[in-house]
Amino acid sequence: MNAVGIKPLPGFATLRDGYLPGNAKARSVLRITAADGLQQAVRVDVNGNGKAKLDTLKPNGSPLGSILANGFTSNGKNQSPLSRIGNSTNIKWHECSIDKIDRQNLLNQKGCVIWITGLSGSGKSTVACHLSKILTQMGKLTYILDGDNLRHGLNSDLSFKAEDRAENIRRVGEVAKLFSDAGVICIACLISPYRRDREACRKILPNGDFIEVFMDVPLGVCESRDPKGLYKLARAGKIKGFTGIDDPYEPPVNCEITLKCDNGIYASPSAMAEKVICYLEYNGYLQA
Amino acid sequence: MVALQGTRPFVSGYRPEFGYGPLQSSKLVFARFSVGNNAVKNLGLCRGGDVRLRSSRIIIKAMEESATFLTKDCSVISGKDLQMMLGNEKSTNIVWHKSSVDKIDRQELLQQKGCVIWITGLSGSGKSTLACALSRCLHSRGKLTYILDGDNVRHGLNRDLGFKAEDRAENIRRIGEVAKLFADAGVICIASLISPYRKDRDGCRALLPDGDFIEVFMDMPLQVCEARDPKGLYKFARAGKIKGFTGIDDPYEPPLNCEIVLKQKGDNCASPCNMAETVIRYLEEKGYLRA
Repeated sequence: MNAVGIKPLPGFATLRDGYLPGNAKARSVLRITAADGLQQAVRVDVNGNGKAKLDTLKPNGSPLGSILANGFTSNGKNQSPLSRIGNSTNIKWHECSIDKIDRQNLLNQKGCVIWITGLSGSGKSTVACHLSKILTQMGKLTYILDGDNLRHGLNSDLSFKAEDRAENIRRVGEVAKLFSDAGVICIACLISPYRRDREACRKILPNGDFIEVFMDVPLGVCESRDPKGLYKLARAGKIKGFTGIDDPYEPPVNCEITLKCDNGIYASPSAMAEKVICYLEYNGYLQA
Repeated sequence: MVALQGTRPFVSGYRPEFGYGPLQSSKLVFARFSVGNNAVKNLGLCRGGDVRLRSSRIIIKAMEESATFLTKDCSVISGKDLQMMLGNEKSTNIVWHKSSVDKIDRQELLQQKGCVIWITGLSGSGKSTLACALSRCLHSRGKLTYILDGDNVRHGLNRDLGFKAEDRAENIRRIGEVAKLFADAGVICIASLISPYRKDRDGCRALLPDGDFIEVFMDMPLQVCEARDPKGLYKFARAGKIKGFTGIDDPYEPPLNCEIVLKQKGDNCASPCNMAETVIRYLEEKGYLRA
């Protein structure tokens, strides 16, 4: 649905007899209000004669089906409600706001979500931080959504009960999706121990835009690091349901990137970040 | 944020351009300081609000590089440590708060400052239209914006919420929190929601640093909004098919002290582009359209 580098029409325009005004641009996404008040988002494809084919779009931007307005049919049948308008039309065109493609062109990158999952102490935040720094130095816009930070703000109403954990992940996924839509390379780092919750986040993003990174670090190593002292408290029974101790971690079955040690030697956080950056580069996320 | 209080300006000897005496501007500026033999640290300078400034004393807020900065913890560093850090002889009562230079880097990258433009008003007052116009105008100036629309957020993040009073408040709260994240990311985030209650809007304002919450009131009379009725909702509400519809049987509390009011002049309403330009002028004056 996304217009590629096309400037929307200024102000309003009218559609008469199925023809767009002469300055109509190809492949704009516009919102139109039909005479009966019906509003729809449409993609306009203008051919050489200035005739427009309009595709109505679902709210998520995918085409509803090839539709027609006013004399334009894709298969000989007039299906669109717009056809009720008849020949004369005073359809008001409202330009849609800037879309994802426009933002990506501005930023010279593609928005996506890098979802870093792993046990507490596996190095998620550390890698996220290095990743963000390197990408910023490369002139890319990133933003880190850290499980801990979000629990102080957006998710401050949630506890650690099972259903609240699931809701925590769901909300982070939805916010990450918004950032990705904004063109930002969004780095989410959360333990996110359950496969089902991570898969649910994957589903809400366009194909390929959810990049799962598994910090494959053994429990023993994480526990020996114990950067926040939580393993100690968990072992002493002062925290219940702590992932890795008395709550399971379900490793990803099919993630995009796994970061693990090589013959007992752990790559540095920077080297791990570089591996992620190579993936992004190879898959075209570091350009519009 | 790290607050250092000392009995003499710490900057002397490191960055001559800062000179002595109290800072005139309360805005944050940055300087890089070499700390002993260690790597460069970034220090921000600003005036503390609750400390009497004497000519021999300035407050420095220092920012450490950190990805996770959202903490109110502060640790005290003794004068001796500060001495080691800054190479000065005297320093007392220093409290360090960690913050991040990442936000500054993002602002530099985008050549803008993140903020939240909160557009409030009755249904049909033109909030979404203004948001779109604003987004287009800013994009054409090379600025990154993102619109959080009450309607589209209710399809995703807030799809578990209904329209009961507490759900409406939660809707606004969550959008405020998300807008805050966007602003922190350097994006000019445009939130357009009816948001009828002052308490809820003020709650969102309180989440953001001073100045970063820019409330825009679409001051259109109910009759004008109802005459437009772009979604047919007023008609339903008048027919009793929707209960608790703002303006009909639920109150709208206009802002008392918002940054921008956009209203009709006589019988005419300014065009969305003109209204957008008013907002953009405000952003320009306040420095949001540059790093």
